[in-house]
Amino acid sequence: MLIAVTVVLIIMLLGSIGTVFAFSWAATHQQFENLESAAESIFDADEPIGTPTDPAITRDS
Amino acid sequence: MNKFRFIFIGFMLTFMSSWVGLVLLPIWGLGNFKQVPDPKTGEMIPPVFSSLEREGHGVYIANGCMYCHSQQVHPARVRTDIARGWGERRTVARDYMNQETVQMGTMRTGPDLSNIGVRNPSETWHLLHLYNPQITSRGSNMPPFKFLFETRKKDPEKPAANALNFPKGFGPGKDFEVTPSHEMLALVAYLQSLKLSSYEIPEAPAARVESLAK
Amino acid sequence: MSSENALNPDAAAIEESRLQRLEIDRAARWPVGIFLGSSLFWLLLGSALAIAASIKLHDPEFLAENAWLTFGRVRPAHLNIVAYGWLSTAGIGIGLWILSRLCRAPIRDSRSLTLAAVLWNMGNAVGTWGILRGDSTAVEWLEYPTYAAPFLLVCFAFVTLEAVGLIRRRPPGHIYISQWYIMAAFFWFPALYFTAHGLLILAPVQAPAQPPINWWFAHNVLGLWFTPIGLAAVYYLIPKIIGRPIHSYYLSIIGFWSLAFFYAWNGMHHLIGGPFPAWLITASVVASIMMFIPVITVAINHHFTMVGHFKKTIYSPTLRFVVFGAMCYTLASFQGSTMAIRSLNGITHFTHYTVAHAHLGAYGFATMVFFGSIYYIMPRLLEREWPSRFLIRIHFWSCALGFIGYWVFLSWGGILQGIELNQKETPFLEIVALTMPYLKLRTISGSLMTLGHVAFATSFCWMIIRHRASDGEPTLFTKRVPDPAPIHE
Repeated sequence: MLIAVTVVLIIMLLGSIGTVFAFSWAATHQQFENLESAAESIFDADEPIGTPTDPAITRDS
Repeated sequence: MNKFRFIFIGFMLTFMSSWVGLVLLPIWGLGNFKQVPDPKTGEMIPPVFSSLEREGHGVYIANGCMYCHSQQVHPARVRTDIARGWGERRTVARDYMNQETVQMGTMRTGPDLSNIGVRNPSETWHLLHLYNPQITSRGSNMPPFKFLFETRKKDPEKPAANALNFPKGFGPGKDFEVTPSHEMLALVAYLQSLKLSSYEIPEAPAARVESLAK
Repeated sequence: MSSENALNPDAAAIEESRLQRLEIDRAARWPVGIFLGSSLFWLLLGSALAIAASIKLHDPEFLAENAWLTFGRVRPAHLNIVAYGWLSTAGIGIGLWILSRLCRAPIRDSRSLTLAAVLWNMGNAVGTWGILRGDSTAVEWLEYPTYAAPFLLVCFAFVTLEAVGLIRRRPPGHIYISQWYIMAAFFWFPALYFTAHGLLILAPVQAPAQPPINWWFAHNVLGLWFTPIGLAAVYYLIPKIIGRPIHSYYLSIIGFWSLAFFYAWNGMHHLIGGPFPAWLITASVVASIMMFIPVITVAINHHFTMVGHFKKTIYSPTLRFVVFGAMCYTLASFQGSTMAIRSLNGITHFTHYTVAHAHLGAYGFATMVFFGSIYYIMPRLLEREWPSRFLIRIHFWSCALGFIGYWVFLSWGGILQGIELNQKETPFLEIVALTMPYLKLRTISGSLMTLGHVAFATSFCWMIIRHRASDGEPTLFTKRVPDPAPIHE
């Protein structure tokens, strides 16, 4: 099973290199800017931040 | 991240890595066994199933025996399987090579069956046990398989040759006789053929060494 | 409120987004509605089979005369029905709806999706009938015979196609984490099912290679299908309900990638001690421990989003179910990671403890989150509120308390069982006897859970019947539905 272990280790190595590469790509391509807007994207003008959208809550909060 | 295609490539790559490791490599490493000659008798082991045993394997599968019974003997340092008499040594991959759909199982609501053919070779025991487990194993929570038997009024002139002999308190009464259906006979043949941990396969640990470790 | 008022320049934007949201919910009404409604039918049938199976384990003569109802068929029928009839069906509906909302695009091919839902249900019906009649494949989690598979795969083709259509029509900008999870799940599940069905049933590989593939499949149904849809729902519903963005988007990305990579490698932890090469088992044990990373990031994220808002679970049924479910996700995953450690596995493997753990994930997490999601989605599809606060209360408390009982009693019994299995002097029938009280307690707990399901299905049907009886369509578009009083306990 030495071949199998080698294959697994190669996958792990490629995975690690790929992860490092993906991180550095992301850093240089502004992927880490504007994360707030990503989190806020689920809201819109009609259901803005600060407004609970379950009618059971809005009655009392 | 606003490009879906990169996310897609990413999650398909992670998925494929597991496919290589947990599907492809096992197929290469565990999917090409051949029989080997028995060092004592020369016959090829593990033996191929007879057609009746193969049918019995089908009955085992159709009725979900695997959901309570495992078919894998673990090493003595991990579990008490060998100490309980469930096998002479741990089972290895090649032991299973002739099963069509392996039934290794993941529950031990009932005992392990890898070596039941060695531990319990008696056809009569199996027939009684499967008809109503309480006959041989009081307190068992295994279901009865009466539907795999045929019950009919006994003809005193011509009683069936293979009718079951029930101990006191069990059975449909003295006016009736119970005989196993073909499916039941096949199932018992399959169970009797289960001797997975008894083969002397080169990569298997010697039974003597394992039992010493008990 | 609906008029575009010159005094309020934002009113136009508000009105536009409101109409867009209504259009999306309207387009989803039939396809999502059918998936969600039919999932409840399977939930009830699955619960009935669960109780039957549970009773059989302490009363083996129960319903034992007929081959169709023998334990070995009822048990896999239960599992497949709750996995593919309840959880998957609801998951498809919930995934499509959240995707549609986040892509700001209405579902386009409503008719094909409705047909797909029918096909999915037929696949489950045919599959269940197949198992009960004796055609089970006896491959765990994949017991539906081959003749059921085409229904499931054709349906899924439509679903994934629609999902791709939605994601392509999304507005420019960030793709929200829920969309990542849902899209991934919609590709992962068919890839898993197709591969496993092919390699284990259609053209089976040699027997010794089957268990790794089997458990790669089965574990990934949990981790790469149910979990992503469940997490997508939690990531969308918690912030949306309380009106506050998720605590850290950055953490959620880390959570996604670490889940995608590590979870997929977990499967072999079901085979510890078995006849497999050490590297295979070890890889999965390592991956199982590494799961702490995505699980902790998710837990931190959800907790810090909820902090200061836990009181809202008193009023919002959705929030209550979803938060309960999210907490069970953390617990189930931590428990699972510990169960992969060889020494602990030595006690828990092959016992009822594993069954309890499986239910912590599939029920405590996935089912409860899906309940909460349905409570949120249905009023928006039908444009009316749930008819009875009492039924919702019964639903939550029966399921929550019933499930806590289920998990505690069965885990306890399982640990005792495991300890005794490792004592070679303990006769096997004695071990069976000691599990009996716990199995009976499990039946009682499971019955309580089923009561909750009946309450839920009753609510659902009542809401639909009331909807059809009403004639106030136009008014519901412009007038806010009167808020029900909050649910106090």
